[in-house]
Amino acid sequence: MIIGLEHYLILGAILFCIGFFIALSKKNAIGVLIGVELMLNAVNLTLVAFSRFSTTEIALSTQVFVVFIIAVAAAEVAVGLALALVVYRNRQTISVDRTTLLKG
Amino acid sequence: MSDFGFHLAFWSLAAMTIGGASMIMVSRNLIHAVVWLVLSMLGVAGLYLTLSADFIAVVQVLIYVGAISVLMLFAIMLTPRAERDNSSSLKTAGPAGVVVIMVMIATFWVAIDTDWGSVREVALTDQARLIGESLIKHYILPFEIGAVLLTAALVGAIALAREDDEDAAVHAASLQAELDGLEFDPVDVVDPPIPAEPESEARS
Repeated sequence: MIIGLEHYLILGAILFCIGFFIALSKKNAIGVLIGVELMLNAVNLTLVAFSRFSTTEIALSTQVFVVFIIAVAAAEVAVGLALALVVYRNRQTISVDRTTLLKG
Repeated sequence: MSDFGFHLAFWSLAAMTIGGASMIMVSRNLIHAVVWLVLSMLGVAGLYLTLSADFIAVVQVLIYVGAISVLMLFAIMLTPRAERDNSSSLKTAGPAGVVVIMVMIATFWVAIDTDWGSVREVALTDQARLIGESLIKHYILPFEIGAVLLTAALVGAIALAREDDEDAAVHAASLQAELDGLEFDPVDVVDPPIPAEPESEARS
C-alpha cells in the first residue's frame, strides 16, 4: 500500500477533531488555547499534504500560505495568553465556566 | 517511495501525533497537557519532513515547540491560584462530542470520497530560497501586513499583560494581607487616607 494524499487528509481530520473537542470542552482558558493550536496544526498538515501532491507552482504558494498561518497563530496565542492573564488578575480564575461577567 | 522506512516513519509519527493529542484530552494536569502538546507538534514536524517540506518543519519546531509552548508554560505559572486541572466541563462535553463526531464524519467522507486528482511530481528542492524569494516578490503585500499584524499583536499583548502601578500595589498588598492573615480591602491601597496637606495658595 502506498501512503498517499488520503492518509494525510484522514490524519489531519483526526487531529482537527481532537483539537476541536478540546477547544469546546476544556474548562481552563489555556486548555482551550491548546485545542485551537491543535486545530491550526491540523490545517497546516493538510495544506502541506496538498502542496506535496500537486504541481510545483501550487506547492510553492501553499507553503508560503502555511508560513503566514504560523505567523498569525503566533500572534493569536500571544494575545490570547495576555487576555487570560488579565482575566486572572481581575477574577482570580481562568475557568471559562466561571468567567460569566457578560451573562445577563 | 513505498519502501519500508517511509511506512515506518509515517505510521510512527502519526501515532506520536494522535497519541499526544489524545493525551492532552485525558491528562488531568495542565502542565502535562502542554508537554503532550509539544510531543504532538514534534510529530507534525516529522510528518512535514515525510512530505519533504523541510523549511516548514524547521519553522514548526522553532515556533511551536520552542516559542508557543514556553509561552503557555509561562502563562500557566503566572496564574498560580487558578485551577491547575485540565478537566473537561461536564456541561459542554456531551454536546461538544456530538458536534465533533458530526464534523469527523463529514471530513472523513469528503477526504475519502473526493477524487483529488493528486499528482506526485518531484518535491521542491531549495525550499528556503524559493519561499523567501516569493515572499518578497509575489507576496510582498501580505508579508508587510503580517509584519504589522505581529507588531500590533505583540504591543497589544504587552499592553494587556502589563500591570500598572496601582494594580501592582493592590496585588502586593493582597498577598501581604494573606500572609498576615488579615482582612484585605483594596480601597485602602488605591485611596490611602490622605494626610492633611497645607492648603494651596488661592489663585488671585
